[in-house]
Amino acid sequence: MGMMNFAHGEFIMLAAYALYVFAGLPFPAAVASALLTGIAIALFAERVAFRPVRSADLSTQLVTSLAVAAILQNVVTAAVDARAQSVATPASLSESTSIGGFSVPNLEFVTLGLTAIVLAGLGWLLYRTRTGLAMRAAAENFDMARLLGVRADRVIAISFAISGALAAAVGVLIVMQTGQVTPTMGLTPVLIGFVAVVIGGFGRMFGAVIGGLLLGVLSSLLGAYLPDGLAPFRDAIVFTFPVLILIFRPHGLLGGEVGRARV
Amino acid sequence: MSGARFRSRSSFAISLLVPLALIGIVTLVGASGRPAFQGTVTLILCNLIVVLGLQVFVGNSGVYSFGQLGFATAGAYVAALLTLPPAFALLQTPGLPSFIADAQLGALPATLIAAAIAGLLAVAVGLPLMRTSTLAIPISTFAFLVVVYNVTANWDRVTGGSSGLVSIPTTTSVESAGLWAAVAAVLAIAFKWSASGYRLQATREDEVAARSIGIGVMRERLIAFGISGVLCGIGGALAVHQSGVLNPTTFYFGATVTTMTMLVVGGARSVLGAVVGAIAIATVNEMLRGIENGADLFGAISVGAAPGLAAIGLGLILLATMIAMPDGLSGGREAGELPWVRRLGPTASSPPSGAPAALAGRSQVEAVEKGALRAEEISIAFSGLRVLKKVDLELEPGEALGLIGPNGAGKTTLVNVLSGFQGPDSGTVTLDGVDVTGGTPTRLARDGLGRTFQASLPFPHLTALESVAVGAMGIGIGRRRAAAVAADVLDRLSLLGQAALPAGSLTPAGQRLLGVARALATHPRYLLLDEPAAGLNEVECGELAEILHGVLGDFGCGILLIEHEMSIVMELCPRIQVLDDGTTLCVGAPEEVQADPAVVEAYLGHSFQAVANA
Amino acid sequence: MLELRGIRVSYGRTEVVHGIDVGVGRGEVLGMIGPNGAGKSSILRSICGLMRPSGGEATFERRVLNGMAPERIARLGLALVPEGRHVFKTLTVAENLRLGARSDDEVALRIEPTLERFPILRERAHQRADRLSGGEQQQLAIARALLGRPKLLILDEPSLGLAPKTIDLIYELLEGLREEGMTMLLVEQNAARTIAFSDRCVVLGAGKVRAEGSREELQRDPDVLHAYLGRQP
Repeated sequence: MGMMNFAHGEFIMLAAYALYVFAGLPFPAAVASALLTGIAIALFAERVAFRPVRSADLSTQLVTSLAVAAILQNVVTAAVDARAQSVATPASLSESTSIGGFSVPNLEFVTLGLTAIVLAGLGWLLYRTRTGLAMRAAAENFDMARLLGVRADRVIAISFAISGALAAAVGVLIVMQTGQVTPTMGLTPVLIGFVAVVIGGFGRMFGAVIGGLLLGVLSSLLGAYLPDGLAPFRDAIVFTFPVLILIFRPHGLLGGEVGRARV
Repeated sequence: MSGARFRSRSSFAISLLVPLALIGIVTLVGASGRPAFQGTVTLILCNLIVVLGLQVFVGNSGVYSFGQLGFATAGAYVAALLTLPPAFALLQTPGLPSFIADAQLGALPATLIAAAIAGLLAVAVGLPLMRTSTLAIPISTFAFLVVVYNVTANWDRVTGGSSGLVSIPTTTSVESAGLWAAVAAVLAIAFKWSASGYRLQATREDEVAARSIGIGVMRERLIAFGISGVLCGIGGALAVHQSGVLNPTTFYFGATVTTMTMLVVGGARSVLGAVVGAIAIATVNEMLRGIENGADLFGAISVGAAPGLAAIGLGLILLATMIAMPDGLSGGREAGELPWVRRLGPTASSPPSGAPAALAGRSQVEAVEKGALRAEEISIAFSGLRVLKKVDLELEPGEALGLIGPNGAGKTTLVNVLSGFQGPDSGTVTLDGVDVTGGTPTRLARDGLGRTFQASLPFPHLTALESVAVGAMGIGIGRRRAAAVAADVLDRLSLLGQAALPAGSLTPAGQRLLGVARALATHPRYLLLDEPAAGLNEVECGELAEILHGVLGDFGCGILLIEHEMSIVMELCPRIQVLDDGTTLCVGAPEEVQADPAVVEAYLGHSFQAVANA
Repeated sequence: MLELRGIRVSYGRTEVVHGIDVGVGRGEVLGMIGPNGAGKSSILRSICGLMRPSGGEATFERRVLNGMAPERIARLGLALVPEGRHVFKTLTVAENLRLGARSDDEVALRIEPTLERFPILRERAHQRADRLSGGEQQQLAIARALLGRPKLLILDEPSLGLAPKTIDLIYELLEGLREEGMTMLLVEQNAARTIAFSDRCVVLGAGKVRAEGSREELQRDPDVLHAYLGRQP
C-alpha cells in the first residue's frame, strides 16, 4: 500500500487467535480456519474502513489503519483475555532435521519454503496476469482504472484478501515459533515490516524481503553475542539500527528511484 | 503597508480566548467536585497538555508522529525519580545515581527539569528522524516509542522495570494542571502563528513549493518536534504526580491511540481542535468506562460489565471521524476563523490601503551589480535517455527570456536543474558568478532564485496573504515585514481583494498568479515561470502579460518564461530560446525564431505559421 | 446516441452546471468549448460516472447513466480520454494498452492495427509510460481508449500543454478516426480549431449553454462567440 498499515499486524494477530480457538481440530483444519479468518477480516476491514478513505490523503489512511488496529486489538482483549494463551505445536514441526552436522528445526524449512513460494506466487500474479496488471493500475490511479472498465472495487478487494491470507500464514508461523498468542502480538510484525522496508527501500517488495532477512540475522547475532547485561535491550538495539540507516540513507539502504519520472 | 495583518485583532483575541475559556471552565468544574472527580479532571487536563504537544508537531507539519508519548514517558520518569523520597528510591530503583535518588525536589522544579530533558531528548531523536523522508517519520517515531518502552521495561535498576514506580508524591492539583494547560495552549498558538510555525505549515500544505521558497523542511520540523517533546514531557510529569504510579505501559500504545483520537476528532490543524477534542473524547471515555463497569444507561437499561468497551468505542469514533469528517470538529480552524464567528464580526484581515511601500526588489538594491544566471553545458540523462545535452542558458536581471519547445524537449527539466530540484550529470549553474550546481532548492531560493510550478502548488489552507508572506519568511524576513511585503506584492498583481480568502478557494488562474506572487515575495533576482498561462483563456493571458511586464519593471528581476502559449511569449520576451530534444535549436528575437525553418519543422508546425502570417 | 437532458452538477452545495441539454448523434463529432470554469469537465465526469449529476438525466443509447458505476459505463462503449491523459506511469506502454482492451484476446486482435496508427507506441512499447513526452502520452491515452472498441470517444482537452506541432499530429489522428465513423465528443479551450474540426459545437459559459450551431453557422457569425469568449477566438 505504500505506507505503514497498523491493521496488518492485527490481521496477523486475529489469524493466530483463530488457531488458538480451533486448536481442538486436526492441525490442517486449524490452519485452514486461520487462513479463512485472515482473509475474512481483511475483506471486512477493506469494505468498512479502508474503502471510504481510499481517495483521502495518506495521513488519513494511516490514522484509519491505526483506528482499525486499536479496535481489533481491544475486541480480542475483551473477548478472550489480555494475557497470553498457549497453543500446542504439532510434533512434526517442533522436531529438527540434521544437515551437515547442524540441527535445523523443521519449522525453519517450512518458513523458508513458504516465503519462497509466496514471493514467486506474488511476482507471477502481479507481473504476469491480467488481474495483477489491473491491481497495479488500480493502486496507481483508481479512477482511471475504472474508466477503462476495470472492476476496481473487486481488484482492491482481491489484494486485501491476498494480504489477509499472507497475514494468516505469518500468524500461524509465529504461533508455531513462540507457542502462544497475546492481543499485542500484532505490534512486533508491524515493526519488523518497518525495519524491512527501511532496509529495502520503500515500495519495493524484493527489498523488503532482504530487509527481513537482515533483521533476522542481526537479531540472532545480537542474541548470541550481546553481553548479558544488555540482553534485555536486544529489541531496542535492533530497532534503533534502521533509524541509523535512515540517517545516512533517507530512502532506505537499497532505495532511490529506479527510472525517474518526469516532473 | 503597516496596516497589513494576517487577521483582525478581534479574530486573534477570540482564537486565543476561547481555548483558554474552555480550559478555565473545565478547571472550575473539576475543582468543585469531590476528590475522585478532581483527580479525573486533573488527568484530563494533563492529557490535554500532551494533545497540545501533539498538535504543535502533527497539526502544523501534517506529519504523524507516533512516538510523542515516548517523551511523555521520559518526562514522567524524570519527574518521578526526582520527587521520589530517598527511601522509596532506594527500594524501587537501586541503580539510580545517589545524587538523583537522594534528591527530592518540589513539583515545579521537577516538572521544569523533566520538560527540559524531554525537550533535549526530542531534539536528539529528532535530528536523525526529521532527516528522513516524510513517509518514514510515522514508522520511525513508532519505533522510538517501542524502544522507549523496551528500555523502561528492562532497565530495572533505574526505572523499576515493568512493575514501575509507586508512591510518587501526588502534588498536581486541578488548578495547577489547568494553569499549565493554559500556558501550553498559549504556547501552541504563539508557535503556530510565528514565522517558524508558518514555515512549517507551508511544508504541510505543499512540501515542494515550500522548498522552492527557501524553507528548510527538516529544520522547521525539528523545531516543532522539540517544542512538542517539551509539552508532552510536561504532560507526563504532571500526570504521574496525580496518579502516583508509573509503569512502562502508562504512556504506550493505548495512550498513543487515545491522544491521537483526541487530536484528530477535534481537528489536528488548530489549537482549538486539540482542546475541544481532548475535552470531548475524555468525556466520552469516562461515560464509556462507566458503562464498562455495568452502569445503568439513563436509569432504564442495565448493561453488563464489558471491559475494553471504552477503547473499542474510541477506536470506532476515530474511524468514523476519518471517514466522515477528516478535518475534525473544528475543521482545522481556530475560534476566530469559524464561519459563524466571521459572520458576526469583522473579516479575518483588513486589506491594507495606501501607497505601495518602498518594496525594494533585491535586484533594484543591487542593481549596480551586474550578474547573471548562467547554465553551461548542462547534461542530464534518466535511465539512459538523454534529456538535456550540453544546454547553455543565460539570463540577466531585468530581462525576459522565453523558453519554448515541444513537450519532452527538456524545458521543465532544465528549470528543475536551475532551481536545484535536480542535479545535472555534468555542466555548471552559476548565480551571479557563484557556482550553485547541485545546490538545494532552499539554498537557491535564499540566493535569489524563485520559481513557479506548472501545477501552481498552492497552500490551500493558508489565506492568500499568508501564502505570499510565507514566501518572504522563507528567506528569513520576520513576520511583520513579511505581511507588509506580501500585501504589496498582492496589490501589484491585483490580488489584494482576495487577500483574506483561503488560497484553495481561488480560481485556477488566481492560484497561478498567487504562485507568482509567492515567488516574488522571496525577492528573487531571477524568476523562473513554468507555463503560467496554461489553461488561461485569451483575456486572462493578456492580463498575465501585463502583470509580467509590471514585474519586470517594478522588481527588476530576470524572468525565464517557459510557455506553449505563443502569444504571451512573443509579446513579453525580446529574446527567445528554442529547445528541442535536449538541445538548443536557436536563440534570438521573436521574428528570427518564428522564421527559423528548424524551429518551424520541430515545433511550430505549418498551421501556426499560416495563422501567424494571416 | 448520447443525450443529456437538464443535467445539473454540484460540488457540495455549489452548483456549477445549471441544467444543460446536449445530444450527440451517431457518427457525429460534437465540440464543447468554453472558458475555464464553464463546467465542461464536470459534465464529462458526470457522464462517465465519476460523479452523480445533481439533476437531470444522461442516457447513452437509451440506457440511463445516472448513478451507474464508471466501469459499467465504460463497458457500454463510452471511452473517456481525460484531461491530463492519466496514463499509468508505473506501467509500460504495452501494459497500458493491454488494460484498454476488454480481454487478452481482444488485445491480440486489435493490437496490430492500433500500432499501425500510432507507430511511436510500437517503438516505445516496453518503456515505462512516465518516460513518454506529453504528446506521446496523449497518443497512448487515445490508443488505449480505442482498444476497448468504444462507440463514443470523449476527449477532454487533448491539446492541453502540447506544442502546436504536436496538436496538429493529434488532430490528424482524430480526423482519421472521424473518417472511420467514430462518434466523438470533443471538449476544448481552443475555440477556433474545435469549431473548424467539429460538425457541431456547443458553447458553454458559467454552467449554461450559451450558443450552439454547426460549423458554418458559427464561423459565419463570430459575434455570438465574442460575446461569450471575450475576444477573437
